[in-house]
Amino acid sequence: MTEERHQGVVFSEAVLSEDGVDLDVDRRKAILAAEARLGQNHWEVLGLEWNAPVEQVKAAYLDAAKIYHPDRYGGRKLGSYRGRLERVFRRMTEARETLADETRRAAYARSTAPATEFARMEARKLEDERRSLERRARLARQNPLVARASRVGELAARGKEAFQAGDFARAANDLQVAQSLDPGNPELASLASEAKRRAAAKKASEHYDKALTAETMGTLGLALSEYRAALDADPRHVRAAAAGARVAVAQGDHVVARELAQAAVRAAPAMAMAHEALGMVLEAQGDKKEARRALEKALELDPRLDTVKERLRKLRWGILG
Amino acid sequence: MSDQEPVIGIDLGTTNSVVATVRDGVPRVIPNRNGQPLTPSIVAIAKNGKRLVGALAKRQAITNAENTVHAAKRLIGRRWGSKEVEDARKVLPYTLRAGPDGNDVRVELAGRSYSIPEMSAMVLAELKADAEAWFGRPVTKAVITVPAYFNDGQRHATKDAGRIAGLEVLRIINEPTSAALAYGFGKQVERKVVVFDLGGGTFDVSILDIGKSVYDVVGVGGDTYLGGEDFDRRVIDWLTFGFAKENGGIDLRGDKMALQRLRDAAEKGKVELSAVSSAAVHLPFLMGGGEGKPALHLDRQLSREQLEELTKDLVDRCIAVTERTLKDAGVRPAQVGEVILVGGMTRMPRVQRAVKEYFGREPCRGVHPEEVVALGAAIQGHALTAPQAGSEVLLLDVTPQNLGIMVVGGYFQTIIGRNTTVPTSETHLFTTVQDNQTSVRIAVLQGASDRAVDNELLGEFVLEGIRPARRGEVEIEVSFDISADGIVGVSARDVSTGQQQSITVTATSGLTEDEMKRILDEQIDELLEKKQTTREFDLRKQRTQTTLEEIEALRPAVQEALERTRFGKDAVQKAEGVLARVKQAMDARDAAALSEQEESLERTLQLFKGLAGAGRGQGGR
Repeated sequence: MTEERHQGVVFSEAVLSEDGVDLDVDRRKAILAAEARLGQNHWEVLGLEWNAPVEQVKAAYLDAAKIYHPDRYGGRKLGSYRGRLERVFRRMTEARETLADETRRAAYARSTAPATEFARMEARKLEDERRSLERRARLARQNPLVARASRVGELAARGKEAFQAGDFARAANDLQVAQSLDPGNPELASLASEAKRRAAAKKASEHYDKALTAETMGTLGLALSEYRAALDADPRHVRAAAAGARVAVAQGDHVVARELAQAAVRAAPAMAMAHEALGMVLEAQGDKKEARRALEKALELDPRLDTVKERLRKLRWGILG
Repeated sequence: MSDQEPVIGIDLGTTNSVVATVRDGVPRVIPNRNGQPLTPSIVAIAKNGKRLVGALAKRQAITNAENTVHAAKRLIGRRWGSKEVEDARKVLPYTLRAGPDGNDVRVELAGRSYSIPEMSAMVLAELKADAEAWFGRPVTKAVITVPAYFNDGQRHATKDAGRIAGLEVLRIINEPTSAALAYGFGKQVERKVVVFDLGGGTFDVSILDIGKSVYDVVGVGGDTYLGGEDFDRRVIDWLTFGFAKENGGIDLRGDKMALQRLRDAAEKGKVELSAVSSAAVHLPFLMGGGEGKPALHLDRQLSREQLEELTKDLVDRCIAVTERTLKDAGVRPAQVGEVILVGGMTRMPRVQRAVKEYFGREPCRGVHPEEVVALGAAIQGHALTAPQAGSEVLLLDVTPQNLGIMVVGGYFQTIIGRNTTVPTSETHLFTTVQDNQTSVRIAVLQGASDRAVDNELLGEFVLEGIRPARRGEVEIEVSFDISADGIVGVSARDVSTGQQQSITVTATSGLTEDEMKRILDEQIDELLEKKQTTREFDLRKQRTQTTLEEIEALRPAVQEALERTRFGKDAVQKAEGVLARVKQAMDARDAAALSEQEESLERTLQLFKGLAGAGRGQGGR
């Protein structure tokens, strides 16, 4: 079987040359390419950029309907393409339902923000930090007291010492100041950022431990603020985010809960725990359909999650015998 | 395009029906064989056993009320014992009965019982014949319109009616949607459009988002029991109360013939009041006196203000339904770019005023309220059969009602919500409710209520062979699927064993496949019979034609003879009567009437021969 590539889609020669179908090869390819995109997100299904405005969504849907609605092929033999067209059109309608509604579109845009978009936000944050460090360094150069202590070697040595001793917070502090005085030193830069990362992780895990204790003691308010502090210190702390979401739901604060759950999914899209937390939050918010979807995703990632199974069961209805 | 088999669009209305087509790229109404665009949706069995449809049936309705069926559309797809049928029985002059399964409704006419689809089929067959006469070739493909609020059963029954009439129904589409198609045809429309359709029997309102020649239905609402006939009934009641007051409490409604005359007069008066401010209702000899009592007449004046007062709440109801529909669709009146009025009742000035007040804009005047629906159906028919994408129109229709199944406690769980664009599909997971339950019954329903019993049952099936387990442990996946032409398919699957059951939902009321087959067979018999009588007629016509030609040839001689003698004038006058009757029978293609006249015609020929001979004789002398 020879296969050719078209818009990044692999076509099956057998389907492409199916007999008794009144469609030319270009149309067949367009339909098959659309079918191959069905598993992608709503934006991609409609061929849109992430976060495209409602007007564009509607226009794209109308254009797509003209190509993929089965009625456009009345009186023609379609073979297996009839089913394909219907599937494509249904999926596009589903995408339109969400994206043509302002509120649902905004929520969906947040949950589907691409990695590049996050990278851009992160980059902006780093840039801000770099500027503030520069400013501090400028001030430091003008301050004779600090200027004396600003010999880089001294600071770097002290920082490394603290790093060895496991005092990452102090190490990060010294190394960063040293680095700001000698920005061209790559060894200092990587050491400083490693120290910073470890300091954050340590801080996060301290907050996380405190939060766990607080939650066990039943002081949910404290637990929630500690979980959030942990997450602030280390945005990749999935367990803190998930547990925080759980506590926020218990406290009835759905906005915070959803924020935390979404943070968890972003931090670790491949961890069942994150999806479970999101599902739980959505369920509490009454969005059963989305909740089911999130829980099913969790179960897909980890089929042994009995709590998820139980929860899913509750979301389904019984049939009268 | 002209070799393409013609496609027709049919607006099968409660009171009137219209047929249209697209020819040379232009949608147009096909006039019936009387040259009229509107054909009354009335069917009757005449005293002589002949079947009458349309204007002919309407004309004899007064004298043959119990064998004349009007407003069959109100009954199509309805169940025996339903509120709608019970209400109809109270006002309709013809007899309704339960069908063989006790669910279906039958009409009793001249000692025979007919299903409702058969009655509608008679109207459709008439329109089909009109179209065939116009095209001069057979027509089989059609798009038929129904009110947007028709449920699945009613749609299926309408489709069955098409089949009985020998039509391949390409699609059943909603009347308001159809009107919007006709409105937007050939124009660049980019706006939200509301179709306000107040017809003879139903009120429908639809909201469409039109752009790039795609007609996207975004909201549908209506009231299946609100229409022109309700306005008529108000007038009838007003007339009967007035009459009773004047004549010592006589209730006209007990007299079927009087009621039919009242109905016609009320409708006529109502229509007149759309143009003038006062209408006279004059019905002489409405009640035969008899037994020495004088006959009673009805003579009253109805003003437009009075009519508006009598029907105020009906107009208010229309606006309330409109308001609800817009709200459901999340559309504000100010966002609406055009309001299209459809249906004869929208000619009423009060209705137009109410619409204008609500939307804050003049409704569109560019469409013909009675013809626009059929034109739209023709456009859709054309779009569905046009071989190339030359016609740009695409209609995205929606499901009119919630579709779902019955769940524990007799509740209704929606699976596909109303106003969902079709084609569509949806899957839900359900669980068993009893320990070791081995089968589940899936009842497929349609309707707006949370309680299953209040909704329409579309069909049911049983999924068997479920793995015995504790309740709640077995997962059953139920999938709904609606295809582009609105056919509902439902399947259920036991997730763990893969055991599967499915049905294609067909009307549970209405006709079974066996009955359908019987009716279609009968239809063929009837066609054969018709062919037989046609052959017989042709034979007689040929013979008669020869005789007539002979008579005409003799006419100058007869004329001459008559001028010279006083004799024979009476005989010739009688003969002229015979000739007129023969010509009438020929026009009506009535073989029986023709054979009746055969002998008289022969005598006429002999008479003419005699007279002509006598004339010649006298002239020669």
